[in-house]
Amino acid sequence: MFVLGIDLGSRACHAVLADGEGRIAERSFLPAAADLHATARRALESFGLRRDEIQYVAATGFGRGQVRFRDLAITEITCHARAARALLPDASCVLDIGARNARAIRTCADGRTLGFRVGDRCAAGGGRLLERAARALDLPLDEIGPVSLRAQDPVAVSSVCAVLAESEIVRHVTDGRAVEDILMGLHLSVASRAAALVRQLGADGDVALTGGVARNAGMVAALERKLGLPVRTSPDSEYAGAIGAALLALKRLRILDHDPRVRLS
Amino acid sequence: MTALKRLMADWYRDLSEGEGPVVYLPVGGNVAELPRACGFRVFFPEVNALQCALRKVAGEFILRAEEQGYSPDVCGYVKSDMGLAASGGSGPFGTIPKPDILLCTTSGCSTTLKWFEALAGIHEAPLFVLDVPSVRDGAADPHALRYVVRQVEELASVLEKIGRRKPSRDRLAETLERSRQAEDLWMEILDSARAKPSPFDAFFEAVFFMAPITVLRGTPECVEYYRAAREEVRGRVAEPERRRIVVDGPPPWPHFRAFRDLFKRWGARCVASTYVRVGGDWDEGFRHDPSRPFESMAEFAARCYTNRSLPARRAILEREIRRFDADALVIHSVRSCRPYSVGQACLRVRDVPTLFLESDLADPRHFNEGEMRTRVDAFFEVAR
Repeated sequence: MFVLGIDLGSRACHAVLADGEGRIAERSFLPAAADLHATARRALESFGLRRDEIQYVAATGFGRGQVRFRDLAITEITCHARAARALLPDASCVLDIGARNARAIRTCADGRTLGFRVGDRCAAGGGRLLERAARALDLPLDEIGPVSLRAQDPVAVSSVCAVLAESEIVRHVTDGRAVEDILMGLHLSVASRAAALVRQLGADGDVALTGGVARNAGMVAALERKLGLPVRTSPDSEYAGAIGAALLALKRLRILDHDPRVRLS
Repeated sequence: MTALKRLMADWYRDLSEGEGPVVYLPVGGNVAELPRACGFRVFFPEVNALQCALRKVAGEFILRAEEQGYSPDVCGYVKSDMGLAASGGSGPFGTIPKPDILLCTTSGCSTTLKWFEALAGIHEAPLFVLDVPSVRDGAADPHALRYVVRQVEELASVLEKIGRRKPSRDRLAETLERSRQAEDLWMEILDSARAKPSPFDAFFEAVFFMAPITVLRGTPECVEYYRAAREEVRGRVAEPERRRIVVDGPPPWPHFRAFRDLFKRWGARCVASTYVRVGGDWDEGFRHDPSRPFESMAEFAARCYTNRSLPARRAILEREIRRFDADALVIHSVRSCRPYSVGQACLRVRDVPTLFLESDLADPRHFNEGEMRTRVDAFFEVAR
């Protein structure tokens, strides 16, 4: 038997198929298209299974309401909290940096949320800013992290707006600043916004980094510098939303098996 | 609701078609009874800006004000009103009359003073500033009250000259007595939310029910409205509730329904809120008093919610959470409103789950439903 967790974000769709023990059987990654439901459908098809071959589907992320074949919709906050405790059990605080914004969540040992803080609406606190920077500097997205780690003298990126930050990058380029210094400056700028969220929750131990930005080693270094705390990642960090949804789907299924009168929400 | 719509329509009609001098007043801590007793028609730019936001026309007026150079960070009400003035003063409710005098109390909101100065310039009308010291944590200081009373006395003679009618003691006493009666009834309605389940939503409903006590306080219509409203609420059968919340801050008027539905789908009932008491301090026992006319008006001006310190406001929230047996606090922060929002993030109450949201009361551009839904849903998922 299988459950499906699907995380339909503003830039990407991550999905995982889990077995009855909560083990991840398969993963799927697709860029998000304007038609969110069609993207979710394609994610389902990528596993080569029909909808009726999956016992339970939980959707999360910005587009969760558009996954029409779901049984359950859960916010990304609850899902990342649950997954982070499964992936990185020692971290009591989760930082999820997605494309649009960042969220810090304090969790208890079983993955339930104790409290959370969400960054404001501007993309200056999210991965989208890094994407724009990569494009402006003509680098593949996967390279900006490693390149930033070579920085000797990071520039100061003061802007609070993703669009204006891009024009700041252009100014630094025309001033002849090294690419690695510009990139680390940018990572530190995003990290300082995210770190403020973590501090508001009073975190004092390991911080689990989830979301697509977790692949970026430059961001991990920038966050550790801004937070003064160890920042942990897992190879599955970017699937955390989908994994959390799958684990919560399994939990819901067990409740339903035990008591079929429990209503779906 | 129909009675309420009729009352508001009558208020607007009297303003555009009626006779007699006109005074502009702020909502928080005003002394409306005095000009009313002198035969003035009473207009509230804030209430009008709110109505424009609710009717979804504030956005256009705000853009108009920004074309004149107002910054995106200036109060949404102010810009809505400035945009309205720049459009010839004609809004969805007819033409707003020019003021014969503007009377600004400083306890409700510091921005209002600048707003009223701008309006006084536009309309070339005199501005009377009633300076009210901050009461911070406790009861108003007697010296501060004497200082306000002296200004109210001065105001009485100014109004007499402009209105050409002497404020008789009897008329003022009668007006204050009506205010007191309406305040008693209003508090009785708000108190009904102590029942479980509550028959009344002290925010999503009460923000409409509060209109008469704001714009018609001191009139017989206002007393009559609350008497009927109390009977209506008494006769209700309460719907089931899953959560009891206390709300701090005003609602996002241009997206009121969307905002309300975010909570409704979780079965959340608001049992107490601070916005419905932003005009006056009735729940702490204040009532207008015909036997102390000037003193009670001065006290009312001093004790308004935004004239309190942050610790005092937190104490009010803690008290309401206990008194109404609420299980969560929701803080709605308004981007462009400094007096209400600065420091609001510090109002979180220990051991009470608190949800902090931000948008605006008039500017529709600051509301992002998707973001807000995620926060509200995550909050209630945690509490489930």
